[in-house]
Amino acid sequence: MKTKIITVGDDDVKSVAIGGDNPLAYIGGPCAIESRDHCFKMAEATKKICDEVGVPLIFKACYDKDCRSSPSSFHGVGIDEGLEILAELRREFGLPVTSDFSVPEWAVPTAEVVDFLQVPAYLCRQTSILRAAAAGGKPVHLKKGQFMSPWNMKNSTRKLKAFGCDEVLLSDRGTFFGYNMLINDYRCFPIMRETGNPVCFDGTHSIQMPTSMGDISGGQREFIPSLVRAAVACGIDALFMEVHDDPPNALSDANTVLDIKHLKRILIEAKHLHETRLELLEKYGEEETIL
Amino acid sequence: MNNEVKNQDVMLDLSGFAVVKTDTYVKEVLEVMTKFPFGIACVVDEEGQLKGVFTDGDMRRLTLNRQKPWAALFVDDIMVHAFPTPTTVHADGKLVDSIHLMEDKFIRDIPVVDEAGKLIGLLHLHQAIKHLLGI
Repeated sequence: MKTKIITVGDDDVKSVAIGGDNPLAYIGGPCAIESRDHCFKMAEATKKICDEVGVPLIFKACYDKDCRSSPSSFHGVGIDEGLEILAELRREFGLPVTSDFSVPEWAVPTAEVVDFLQVPAYLCRQTSILRAAAAGGKPVHLKKGQFMSPWNMKNSTRKLKAFGCDEVLLSDRGTFFGYNMLINDYRCFPIMRETGNPVCFDGTHSIQMPTSMGDISGGQREFIPSLVRAAVACGIDALFMEVHDDPPNALSDANTVLDIKHLKRILIEAKHLHETRLELLEKYGEEETIL
Repeated sequence: MNNEVKNQDVMLDLSGFAVVKTDTYVKEVLEVMTKFPFGIACVVDEEGQLKGVFTDGDMRRLTLNRQKPWAALFVDDIMVHAFPTPTTVHADGKLVDSIHLMEDKFIRDIPVVDEAGKLIGLLHLHQAIKHLLGI
């Protein structure tokens, strides 16, 4: 089924259309804004790769990491400095940018800067967060909570719609499989697509092993490429992956973030598979519902 | 048999049976249906146009054929599973004709619509029999 199309970005940036028959969009960047210089360096490197591959990019970096496992973990540069950096980066690179927010009061100021407002998975059903996200007036990237069934995400999209937001991208970032382990149930893509919203696969958080290292999360990066290929073949509209130039020393999600040296190959494969799926759809039409 | 009785003489008005919107969750539809003794819900759009019906039989067939987890089925929009082209009658039609129609179609309920297709009532076999028997 074809989804609605959401447009991320305005005339000041290279806007990205997600859904329908549009090219696979890539949402990526470092997990956290570690510093202005590092964020700019990552934006430059990510944009260069996306330009070479021909994949539309929405640059992602967060100013506050509110779900870290340890109180001593890096929490972020904070909303004021973070939004300043994102605003400058947006102007300089002409890229649409996105960040999440974890406190309702942060939604509107964040949406004044970013083109796409991300709702963290853990907060995906919180009414106050969804009301705040809708008030931002920007398209919303809503991640399926690791504890949520894909069909229950419809409740969250209905809340957003009731609050005035009908431009929503739904993401899978894995589902808890017992303690400290996530798995991907690829049925979630057609199920979440039934809401009419485009869907996205989060390839780096999906391989996370939440808090498996005691006070930090582990991960199995070796599975990123195969999980991404499977998701794209299944049918997604956007791909999300966090990247870093030095994963072992990343200040956030060091065990899951993708080394940027691998990004190009993964994007080439993802783009190719997405185009093949669209070609098949055009040639043979939508699949019949099998009952 | 009194052949002059009209459907409007015996039909239930909109407050007397389950009427739900097309995007109502299946779970809520079942709750509304349970408030009435007829085993049918009429599905309407925002303007009150009849868009389909959903019956106990539909639920029975859904349970056997789809085997979808209850939690997933419960949050489907009812229109996904409703029968979209139900038999209908008009208010000024003869009741006796409607009863013949019920017999032909093996159904006990027929939505009553106006000329524009807007739902205005429900004809239920038991009410019709009671009226014709004068009980």
